Amino acid sequence: MRAALRIAALMCLPFAAQAQVQGVMLDDAVSLPDFSFHDEQGGRFTSADLKGNWTIVMIGFLTCPDVCPFTLGNLEAAVAETGLRVRPDNVPKVWFLSVDPDRDGDYVSEYGPFFHPDFRSMTGARDQIDTFIEATDSFYRLMPADADGEYEVQHSSAVSVIAPDGTLRAKLQPPFDPGMTAEFLARLQIGYRRELSQ
Amino acid sequence: MIRAIAVAVVLFCATSATAQDISISEAYIPLAPPGVRAHAAYLTLSNTGSENRSLIGVTAQGYGMAHLHQSMEMNGVAAMSALHQLEIAAGQTVALTPGGLHIMLMQPAPSQVVGASVPLTLHFANGKDITTQATVTQRDGGS
Repeated sequence: MRAALRIAALMCLPFAAQAQVQGVMLDDAVSLPDFSFHDEQGGRFTSADLKGNWTIVMIGFLTCPDVCPFTLGNLEAAVAETGLRVRPDNVPKVWFLSVDPDRDGDYVSEYGPFFHPDFRSMTGARDQIDTFIEATDSFYRLMPADADGEYEVQHSSAVSVIAPDGTLRAKLQPPFDPGMTAEFLARLQIGYRRELSQ
Repeated sequence: MIRAIAVAVVLFCATSATAQDISISEAYIPLAPPGVRAHAAYLTLSNTGSENRSLIGVTAQGYGMAHLHQSMEMNGVAAMSALHQLEIAAGQTVALTPGGLHIMLMQPAPSQVVGASVPLTLHFANGKDITTQATVTQRDGGS
């Protein structure tokens, strides 16, 4: 799959190194297998829920002190900016998938809405998580615990962008400059609609 | 000598904490998401002296543990590593900012409110401690 990736780094301000989006649009849409995630409130999030709207899925863990909150905060700004450029029903939904169900399973639902009321956070059985991780060419690893029983989780920093037909269309790498990310997502959606109309 | 005193006075007025040649500013803690067992504090350290200084530990009031950490990304994988010491060379300023160097706060106090102050005590290799107040801030999107 990596061979099929087309790098589309949009550098709009040549002299501002920060102002770029590291986005990869996939040449060929990737079908996703069936999966089912959940939260502790009885919420269920399945592959069927991806249909009919754009979805951005970020993976991480709740004991992540720095990068995960920072990334979700940036995503919130980027999605808000996207909302200024696309139709309301094309604003991506955001899912945060915890790959650390043992520690996070009891309170995972509160995490996403902390960053935006519409964000959702969830976890799942290990095989369901792994199914999604593999299909999106993502990665995570639970590191060995230290003397206090604490462990770190390494994970892909890129988020997956999934189209209303339920297929993976792009990966976005943080940091998510709001304007550049919105531009990237708007272009992605234009390409998607063009493809549908052909 | 007079200049040194003047600099010291200016620093004392301009920053939240000073001790000898290290000043600390912009100490803040973004409001933690609900329930999490770890979050982060950020601050800026300036070494105005002529000798290098080494930050070797942090104590945060109300937390079970506080560690110096560095987030990094290698080949698209986000990872974190503990720092046993952080060098602040003479004349240098080191900023702990989201996505990079941070103080990981663990086993937090039950609840926090925006605007609250959390005393952070920084331990240096020369035996000196500096305590500063970190302000709990609303988490803004977009950095």
